[in-house]
Amino acid sequence: MKKQPGMLELFAAGWRGVTRYTGTLFTVFVAQSLVALICLLTISQVLAAVFAQRPMFDEGVRGDLIALVWAARYGSSALIASAWLVAGVALLWAIVSWFLVGGVNAVLLKRPEGRAATARQFGAGGVNTFLKYGILTFLSVPFLVVVLFVFGMCATVAVPKMQYALTMPQLLAPLALALGPALLLLTIGWTVLDYARLDLSQHRDSHELGAFSAYFRALRLVLTRPLTIGHTLLGWLAWLGIGVGYSYIAYGHPMLGAGGAVTLYVIRLGVQLLRMAIKFAVMAGQVHLHEQRPAPQRDVAADIVAAAK
Amino acid sequence: MSFVPSGLSSRLSCAVLGLALCVGCREKNGPPRPLQPPQVDTAPALRPGQPVADVTTANYKIDARLDPNAHSITASQTLTWTNRGASAVEMLPFHLYLNAFKNDQSLFMLSSGGQLRGARIGNDSTSWGFINVESVQVAGSELINKVRYPGPGADRTVMELPLAAAVAPGATIEVSMRFTAQLPEVFARTGYWHDFHIVGQWFPKIGVRAGAPGFEQWDCPAFHGSAEFFADFGTYDVAITAPNTHAIAATGVLTDVKDTPDGIRTHTFHAEAVHDFAWMADPFMLTLHGDAHVDGGTVDVRVLYRPEQLSYARRHLTAAIGTVELLSKMLRPYPYSVLTVIDPPPEATEGAGGMEYPTFVTTAGDHALARRGLRLPEFVTVHEVGHQWFQGMLASNEHQEAWLDEGLNEWVDGHVMESLYGDGEDAIDWMSWRANITALRRAFASPENSLAPIATTPDAYVDFDAYAATTYGNTMFAMMTLENIVGSDKFLAAMKQYAQAWAFKHPTGSDFLASLRSSLGNIDWFVGPALQQNASVQVSLEKARCAPLTPPRGVFDDDKGHRVITAKDAPSTGAFRCEVVVANRGGVQVPVEVEVEFADGTTERLVWPQQTGNWHRFTLEHNTPIAAVRLDPDHKLVMDNPFNNSIRSHGDGSASLRAGARVAFWTQSLMQVVGL
Repeated sequence: MKKQPGMLELFAAGWRGVTRYTGTLFTVFVAQSLVALICLLTISQVLAAVFAQRPMFDEGVRGDLIALVWAARYGSSALIASAWLVAGVALLWAIVSWFLVGGVNAVLLKRPEGRAATARQFGAGGVNTFLKYGILTFLSVPFLVVVLFVFGMCATVAVPKMQYALTMPQLLAPLALALGPALLLLTIGWTVLDYARLDLSQHRDSHELGAFSAYFRALRLVLTRPLTIGHTLLGWLAWLGIGVGYSYIAYGHPMLGAGGAVTLYVIRLGVQLLRMAIKFAVMAGQVHLHEQRPAPQRDVAADIVAAAK
Repeated sequence: MSFVPSGLSSRLSCAVLGLALCVGCREKNGPPRPLQPPQVDTAPALRPGQPVADVTTANYKIDARLDPNAHSITASQTLTWTNRGASAVEMLPFHLYLNAFKNDQSLFMLSSGGQLRGARIGNDSTSWGFINVESVQVAGSELINKVRYPGPGADRTVMELPLAAAVAPGATIEVSMRFTAQLPEVFARTGYWHDFHIVGQWFPKIGVRAGAPGFEQWDCPAFHGSAEFFADFGTYDVAITAPNTHAIAATGVLTDVKDTPDGIRTHTFHAEAVHDFAWMADPFMLTLHGDAHVDGGTVDVRVLYRPEQLSYARRHLTAAIGTVELLSKMLRPYPYSVLTVIDPPPEATEGAGGMEYPTFVTTAGDHALARRGLRLPEFVTVHEVGHQWFQGMLASNEHQEAWLDEGLNEWVDGHVMESLYGDGEDAIDWMSWRANITALRRAFASPENSLAPIATTPDAYVDFDAYAATTYGNTMFAMMTLENIVGSDKFLAAMKQYAQAWAFKHPTGSDFLASLRSSLGNIDWFVGPALQQNASVQVSLEKARCAPLTPPRGVFDDDKGHRVITAKDAPSTGAFRCEVVVANRGGVQVPVEVEVEFADGTTERLVWPQQTGNWHRFTLEHNTPIAAVRLDPDHKLVMDNPFNNSIRSHGDGSASLRAGARVAFWTQSLMQVVGL
């Protein structure tokens, strides 16, 4: 067995992955940003159809709380339509991501050289594992049910405490109780899914795993190697931190006018690119750790029996 | 290989659980300990020089003993009641409010479904509350066997005492009673939560004789879930005996404190010109004091709070002092020498918080999310202290005309909040958010959906929510609209005259409106539809269009016969003729101001003065067409929905684009969570 990597090694692998396959990262980011742009234009049209002649909506968008409440009350159909649009886009992206993650995993695992080879590897990897990733997603549903159950249980204990909290610690501690275990479990679930996907993307000449086997092999890895969870968790914390940092810096800078709006859009794109780079780096780190794992055992006797039949 | 989570994940779980369980638990106050005897008040119950009307109709002397473990009170009381009417009285009715919580068949429980303002009565055997009258004596004769309970049904919130001899007009009768009051688990303004006791509506309280002289009737209905209280003014002398571990606060001033060697302490309170008496007992409460400067004197304002609520108690104190000082100037001076504000423990707030009694109120709103600048705690205090005027002194009938106290109080609250905390930020002044309390209330209300007019008895509403929305909200919106129409100074002067004329009396809605008419002239065009009918203001822009203005064209007859004038003969002047059609579908025919903005940036104000129909057409000429129309540009019509009042002639999608960009940013974030 190879020497097991540590957290720093995973970070380094992440950095290497981002710097070596920057083009792949940008491609995926552009695809995502285009979808978001279409979402932006569609929602703008939906809102404009209801609010374009109502100056009070403008005041609401500029931060007038009362105007915002009125707009929400009298344009609720537009807001509900926008919410469904967002939900639809998110669902669509989740499915598209089966292909994209398969492509990125294939690239990071096979390390092709050159733009054309990388593109071929990306496409082939995405197509090869698309359905398997889909099955894997459905396999992870019971885990999500467990997460929801844990959240419900913890919330039952925490909510009464939050209801009567007088100080922020009294409020935040039960909130952590309500969310913490469920979020931790969710991170575990996501980590399992990530490593199972890698197993499925890892083409082996001798034999290939099914989604079920890959899932449980990944579950065993994650539960026996807390480093995998810590690594994923740190990735998400960094992702969240960038969002919080952006909100903190943006607070008090409304960036009004056309120039301000364009600047804001570009800054937001930068934030999203940075966050996607972090996700990409986490994937590269996971590939590095995955490569240290022993291959799954092949049941030779079963193969012979199967061949004889 | 073990599948038990190891290392990091389990350590994290323990850390989160530990943090939640250790930090989340509120610091305990420890076991109750004997308290130092409180200082008695040296000031009289009524501040010197305060003119009050005849306020000694129902005088009570009560001797009460609290058992804090059983949450019960054993008491004896002597009522001295004077017949102020012109007809003899053969029966005395008494409210036994606590019996509303005796079982689920009381009118209160049936009408409220066992819940009020977010609180629900408990189901344990210790949750119920009741009052048991054990003895009733008049002139030494025991009459307990003669009392009757008129219901309805199993309701026992009213007790009638037939008298052996009628009480003649102007005569006085003395009724002595012994009773036991079992407090419910805190609910609907009264009860206990652990060691905390808020004791309201706890003693047999006589009804009110109302009506024209010679035709007076008792007003003493069963306790309904949407109704509150109504009683005659009187003097209260109440001795409360409890363990010396408990701080006691009550209506009126503390005149005497006596300790016994066995750790029992008796507090004696005296109150004058009040129509109710409530008190609080708690082993952990501390007191903050402050002076409100009123009319050359001071009022001792006290906030009782538990130690962990100190930061909120300070906010309540500031709000209470400000309210007393401001309303003393706006309406009439606060006549009492003390005002006590109880800040209940958060767990008891739903049942005990936000209630008014003479010189004694309970507040609410303490929560970690109520940061400084988010002024729910202040608003509750302002509202409850405001009741010292609307219902405390102006003692209208709450179970008949609740809008007279709750609604008018809401109106005055808006003024107080604005004055104390600044216009436009009196409700919220936090981070980049600002909101005015009235505008915020209005934004969440739907007066146009009300099913009943404002002048409706509380028990005639569909439910408590409908009662609250109409009685509190719609009255406030109507009063603010009227104030804006007639002018604020004039309206405030009218309200001041009403307050001074009717203090320490029982004004009705008719009395209030007559008082307003005497100050403001004819207001029936407004108050008729706004208060007595279910009408509102619904101003809308029906049309705003412009066409190029041209000299006359066509075939015209003159001395020389037909004359044809073509477009060439009479070219367009370059100006525009515009029409603006405004409608009001609401039924309250208010004057409507209209501001028209033209494409060249100039504006013109138009007025649709006293409405004669449901719509009005304005015709105007200008060099450029209309760019936007604003109805009610100064937001005077608080009853109206402002969202439809400002309309651009051409759409501008820039705000929508900006909002869409923000949503798209969050959408992209969501995409990164659910996918790559």
